Amino acid sequence: MRELNFLLSLWKTNLASAMEYRAAFLSQAIGMILNDGVYFLVWVLFFDRFKEVRGWELSDMFLVFGIAAGAFGLAGAFFGNAFNLAEIITGGRLDYYLSLPRSVLLHVLASRVVPSGFGDLLYGFLSYFASGQASWGGLGRFILAILLATAIFIAFLILVQSLAFWLGTGGTFTALAVNAIITFAIYPITLFNQAAKVVLFLIVPAAFLGAVPAGFVRAFSWPTLGSMALAAAGFLALALTLFHLGLRRYESGSAIQVEV
Amino acid sequence: MPAIQVKNLTKTFQTRHKAAGLTASVRALFRPQVSAVEAVRGISFEMEAGELLGFIGPNGAGKSTTIKILTGILFPTSGEASVLGYTPWRQRRQLAYHIGTVFGQRPQLWYHLPAIDTLTLFGKIYELDDRQTKRRIAELAEAFEIQDLLETPVRKLSLGQRMRCEVAASLLHKPKLLLLDEPSIGLDVVAKQHIRDAIREMAARENVGVLLTSHDAGDLEALCKRVIILHHGQIVYQDKVSTLKRSFLTSKLVEVRYAQQVAPDFEIAGTETLKIARERYGVKLRFDTRRTPVESVLARLTEAGDVVDITISDPPLEEVIAAIYAQAERNA
Repeated sequence: MRELNFLLSLWKTNLASAMEYRAAFLSQAIGMILNDGVYFLVWVLFFDRFKEVRGWELSDMFLVFGIAAGAFGLAGAFFGNAFNLAEIITGGRLDYYLSLPRSVLLHVLASRVVPSGFGDLLYGFLSYFASGQASWGGLGRFILAILLATAIFIAFLILVQSLAFWLGTGGTFTALAVNAIITFAIYPITLFNQAAKVVLFLIVPAAFLGAVPAGFVRAFSWPTLGSMALAAAGFLALALTLFHLGLRRYESGSAIQVEV
Repeated sequence: MPAIQVKNLTKTFQTRHKAAGLTASVRALFRPQVSAVEAVRGISFEMEAGELLGFIGPNGAGKSTTIKILTGILFPTSGEASVLGYTPWRQRRQLAYHIGTVFGQRPQLWYHLPAIDTLTLFGKIYELDDRQTKRRIAELAEAFEIQDLLETPVRKLSLGQRMRCEVAASLLHKPKLLLLDEPSIGLDVVAKQHIRDAIREMAARENVGVLLTSHDAGDLEALCKRVIILHHGQIVYQDKVSTLKRSFLTSKLVEVRYAQQVAPDFEIAGTETLKIARERYGVKLRFDTRRTPVESVLARLTEAGDVVDITISDPPLEEVIAAIYAQAERNA
């Protein structure tokens, strides 16, 4: 409860800070909706020609894309620093968070708003409604799926970027990891063989950002929900452990920095 | 019980080396050359509750590293420390409720927002209720004379104004101990004085202990009762500021610029002429404050010509440290 109260104030402050530049904020959010739409157009054209790829149809793609965009957007909008944790670590910018009586990781992640995240999040819902499979129950499952997918996505980003404590760098690593997980998440999972699937479930958990939650949105199933919850808990526990191990090696820095 | 107890604290950083050029970068990728840098080398000291203690030393002496260990930001390599009864790196969150920090090079105020927004957020971070936070902000605003600055976005404040807001923010939760790392860095003389006065007054009013790092001997004279001088990660001197002043901060440097050219044999009684810059009409002198009072030097300088500009400063810290070393050797 106390953490939630703190998070709400932090998000309010974040939003106020982002709103100092309203035009930039809105143009980034709207721009991202257009960007996602144009990106998805390729799949519309593709399925117009082939109708089905190993059992996957355009409506499945709408769902997968909706969940991936939603999770990506939710992470950016509310935990924006998940995308530049490595830079924060190597730049010595954890000092600020470490000198305040809050959970470092939660505080650092929630301290930045990526305006385009709101565009992605909205696009996620638009994509869901466009899938032709929308229903009240489905919407509830869609929201739950996005929440779990976001947790797994953020945990993956923390895991990858915590390596910065050991490597001393991490910026390029992050971009690579984000690209990998998003790209694999929005491809029809039926395209991959068993070995590739192991990677997509356990190493780069892209399956939990696309195919698995999409199946859950289509039809409720306890095993699917259980596997998503288990993956979220497992990846988060791993991420927290690695981050806190890394913190012991944190070297701070003397670069001049500001909290924006 | 002392507010801070430190025993044999050391911190070693691993530094990567790389020669210039792309080939060296590629080689460093596979076989990085790592060496250890000892930033803090076995220091021990104590600080009483409510004490005003100065930590000074040139850049790279280990001041900031020590303060960062004491706040729980860095883990030490070895040694023990207790701050207000907590081990900083193990009980960081509990400790953070009782200490305030200001890092001159790392502002905590949100850059695009007015200071009042950060202060309100800090109220939530420290779990104060809204009424408490408001009352405390009003109190601090008065003490630091920042009432008119609170609603201006921080990016539009001058450095001096911003630092006053920073120190005010660090006192929001009524900490028992304030850790200030270079609070006067980059400030002009007036702003420095302003911030020193405000810190001193607040510390006295609320009985807050202050541990301050600086590479400016002026901060120390104005704020601290006791001083620890660090050099290359080790304590080279610790004593009362008054003793340090009596023994080592005995000389002042004066730089004067005149409206007309300075004679090549320019001399002021009781001072040593260090440099005459004839083309810039300037002269640099040093004098011993125990033998020649500042007022008499000033009077003689103004008699000598029309003064355009004048600066009086303490000798650089490096000279003070050299003197401390020299004395230690003589005693040995």
